[in-house]
Amino acid sequence: MKSDLSSSKRWGKRLLVIGRVALGIIFIVAAYMKMKPQPAMAWSLASIETSLSMFAMGVDSYQILPVWAVRLVAHWLPPFELLLGVWLLTGLALRASSLIAALMISAFFLAMTSAYERGLTISCGCFGPGEQIGPRRLIEEGVMLLPLALAVCIGAFLTARRENEGDQSPLEVTVGLGDTARR
Amino acid sequence: MIASDYITSGKVYLVHHDFPLQAHMYSGLAARWANAAARVGEFPEVEAALYDNQDAWGASGDIAKYVAAAMPAADFKRVEVLVKSCESPAPTSTWDHSDPLAKDPHPCAFDYAVRDDIELGYKIPVQATPTYVITYKGQKLPAGSGTVSWPILKQFFDSLLAQQ
Repeated sequence: MKSDLSSSKRWGKRLLVIGRVALGIIFIVAAYMKMKPQPAMAWSLASIETSLSMFAMGVDSYQILPVWAVRLVAHWLPPFELLLGVWLLTGLALRASSLIAALMISAFFLAMTSAYERGLTISCGCFGPGEQIGPRRLIEEGVMLLPLALAVCIGAFLTARRENEGDQSPLEVTVGLGDTARR
Repeated sequence: MIASDYITSGKVYLVHHDFPLQAHMYSGLAARWANAAARVGEFPEVEAALYDNQDAWGASGDIAKYVAAAMPAADFKRVEVLVKSCESPAPTSTWDHSDPLAKDPHPCAFDYAVRDDIELGYKIPVQATPTYVITYKGQKLPAGSGTVSWPILKQFFDSLLAQQ
C-alpha cells in the first residue's frame, strides 16, 4: 500500500516535471516568435524593437487596451514570457511561476474569446504575427494550453502540500526525537 | 496622417487593394464606386468617405449618397455614369476562391481590377478586412488584420525606418 502511494507520488512528480518543462518551452517559444527579427533583418536591439512594435499592432487590434497600455504590454510581455519560461524550466518557486503562467494563459484565452465574440477577425499574436483567431486557435488554447497550465499549477501546490505534510510525518518526527536524544 | 507624414515624403509607399467580402452585401458595389472614382482622380476622398460611413451604407446600400458628398457635383456625375453603365453584379470574394467574374458574360471595365485584387487576396490569404501586408527591403512581413491605432502604426513605421 505504501509502495503504491510512493509510486503514485513519483509519477505525479514526473508528470509535474514534464508539464512544467512543456509549459516553460511554450513560453520561451512564444517569446522568441514575438521578438525574433523580421525577414531581411539581423538580430539587433533595433530589429527586436521593430518586432515588438509589430506585436503592438497585434495587441492593438484586440481593441481592449488604450494606446499607452498596448505599448506597455507589447514591449514587456515577450521579455516576461521569456523570463517565465526559463523560471518554469528551473522549477524554482514552482507554485509562484505556475500560478503566474496559469493566470497569463487565462487572460490570453479571455482576450481571444472576447475578440472572437465581437466578430474581430484578427491575428492572435500568441506565437508571433499571422495566426488568426478562430475556433481552432480557441480550442488549442482552451483545451490544451490552459488545462496544462492549470494542471502544473495544481500539481505544484499539491506537491508542496504533500511535502509539508511529509515534514510532519511520524517517521521524521521520530528521527527528530532521535537527534534530540542524541544531543 | 499616414499620407502627410509618410507617403508624401516618400518614406512609405501605399498600395490599396480591394477585397470585397461576400458576407457584406454591398461591398462589391462599394469597390466599384471607389474604382470609378479613381478614374476621375477622387479615389482617396471616396475611400475615406466609404470607410467612415461603412455601417450606414452597409445597411442601406445607398453608396451614391456618400460618394456624392465626397467630391464636386460635376465629378460625381461622371462617376455615376461610369457605375450606371455596369449592368452585371459587382464582384466579391467567393467561399471556394473561384473567379468572381467567371459567370459574368459582360463584366464592367473596372471589375477586372477588383477581380485581380481578390485573387491576390486569396494568395495572402486575406481572412478579414482591413488586412495589411508590409514589405520591407523586398521582403514581405507576415500579414496582419484588424484596426490599428495611428500612434501604434506610426511607432512601427518609425521603428522600421530606423533600421539600417
